Amino acid sequence: MVFNLWDWFAEPFQFSFMQTALIVSTFVGVVSAVLSCYLILKGWSLMGDALSHAVLPGVVFSYILGLPFAIGSFVSGLLCALTIGWVKQHSRVKEDTVIGLVFTAVFALGLILISRTPSDVHLMHFIYGNALGIEHDDFIQTLVSGAIVLVVVAILRRDLMLFCFDPNHARAIGLNTTVLHYLLLALLTLTVVAALQAVGLILAIAMLITPGAIGYLLTERFDRMMLLAVGAAVLSSVIGVYASFYLDASTGGCIVATQAMLFFAVMILGPRRGLLGQALQRRRTRQVIASNKPIAAYDGP
Amino acid sequence: MHHAWHVLIDPFQYQFMVKALLVGALVGIVSAVLSCFVTLKGQSLLGDAVSHAVLPGVVLAYLAGIPFGAGALVSGLSAVLLIGWIERNTRLRSDAVIGIVFTTYFGVGLILASMIPRLSDWVYSSFGYRAPLMSVNTILFGNVLGIADSDALQTLVIGVVTLGLVVVFRRDLLLFCFDPNYARAIGINVRRLSMLLQLLLALTIVVALQTIGIVLVVAMLVAPGAIAYMLTNRFDRMLLIAVASSVVSCVSGIYASYYLNASTGGSIVFIQSLVFLAVLCLAPKPGLFAQMRTRNAIRPTPRTTP
Repeated sequence: MVFNLWDWFAEPFQFSFMQTALIVSTFVGVVSAVLSCYLILKGWSLMGDALSHAVLPGVVFSYILGLPFAIGSFVSGLLCALTIGWVKQHSRVKEDTVIGLVFTAVFALGLILISRTPSDVHLMHFIYGNALGIEHDDFIQTLVSGAIVLVVVAILRRDLMLFCFDPNHARAIGLNTTVLHYLLLALLTLTVVAALQAVGLILAIAMLITPGAIGYLLTERFDRMMLLAVGAAVLSSVIGVYASFYLDASTGGCIVATQAMLFFAVMILGPRRGLLGQALQRRRTRQVIASNKPIAAYDGP
Repeated sequence: MHHAWHVLIDPFQYQFMVKALLVGALVGIVSAVLSCFVTLKGQSLLGDAVSHAVLPGVVLAYLAGIPFGAGALVSGLSAVLLIGWIERNTRLRSDAVIGIVFTTYFGVGLILASMIPRLSDWVYSSFGYRAPLMSVNTILFGNVLGIADSDALQTLVIGVVTLGLVVVFRRDLLLFCFDPNYARAIGINVRRLSMLLQLLLALTIVVALQTIGIVLVVAMLVAPGAIAYMLTNRFDRMLLIAVASSVVSCVSGIYASYYLNASTGGSIVFIQSLVFLAVLCLAPKPGLFAQMRTRNAIRPTPRTTP
């Protein structure tokens, strides 16, 4: 029985595409999880959604012009972010409406371009993800983009955290919040670029939100939140890739589904804020009250 | 002139074009009406979420041979309920909760879609029903130029029902969107209205599915309202402008897609975005050109003599 389990565990590794898929998915998971902590704090989940869609025309243009897709998507995403800011400043439309408007327009442009470009299979991989079949060039671009993000975050993590948590305080102690704002947008775009080939742009959004949420539910301290988020992401990526191998199903979908299950597990069973714990707590309190003990004899939960 | 006339009229000789234009126009009307309510209420993100959340329902409905609208509704509305439940029970911000739920649904939908051949075989061997060949691309990106008669009929019926509900409840809905506290104070059941609005949102998405596809539906729910909001403060005019701009975009988008052989949903949304851009620049008061004119009027002319 134990022998069979080991076989089952080790079998995917004999295929090099599986090794690559595991490495890519885990790496992308780590980078996205790190960013997701900042995004949760800053309330930029919708922005992550928007930028993931916004890179599409950049990808198509890169493909047409023969450039590395990372460059085109980065420019496209950043342009979208800047456009959102500009439209918001110059119109009276509400922020989430502006974001929705701009990114769908940009995404629609991308779809039109795809529909007019021959050989769109490779391009569709950017939408659905292709961890199991990722090409070498794309793999390198993913690693480079992700590495840049990790290095920048490592250097500026405290400033970024303060900026996300309390921008006024950050400004007051002399941090350039404008630069940090655009830097975070750039990091977000780069992370999306890195995640594109592994899970596709639609699911890159999930990886930019769920790990951070899992960490947020478990702790109040940012460094622990990041550790937990990264741990959750790595676990989901590994399980997801295995699941997609044995179920012969979409890799990105499996990873995201695993993340969701982790999220629900934490939400219900979490030590401090878990729903189960809270329900048991309430029951205990009710029992204490019902037992009519004098207050002095009550020694706390 | 003759040539332009032909460009306009030629597609009508094809039944699929007539169908597409009819469905497209209806989609434009319904989504524009909902868009006004949704942008006022600030629920654009929820619209995005529900549109992605319908994917698993649609895939399962196709596999089981039931109308795709039913699957989409169940899937979408269950997502909304789940979002509400998580929001009430955790300290997470609403945009994060919405993001988690809709991406999960969408991920599950993609898993199901990638397993369609095997699932279809299982359904066939268990129930004897073989689903027609369908690509997940059609669900995601729409295909009104290839819409089947039964689907077109389904869309029309649901569209009419949705509009009917809006007409019946329009005053309460309007008040609820503008000032929910006042609405509650005068005795309107705000929770039920909120659920009604979410139901209407889901129905609109079902209506727009076949034309625009899941991924771009949110554009149809956001752009018409935003365009109208830039041009007027009165809700009745806002509805008219939104519907007009939306129908024009849908129809011209379908024409463009026919002649340019480009993605239909993409063409519609892109044209609509151009309309918004035009309105952004040219709108009387909030528009950019007007703002620049005002600034120039206020700024004193430079003196050429000391």
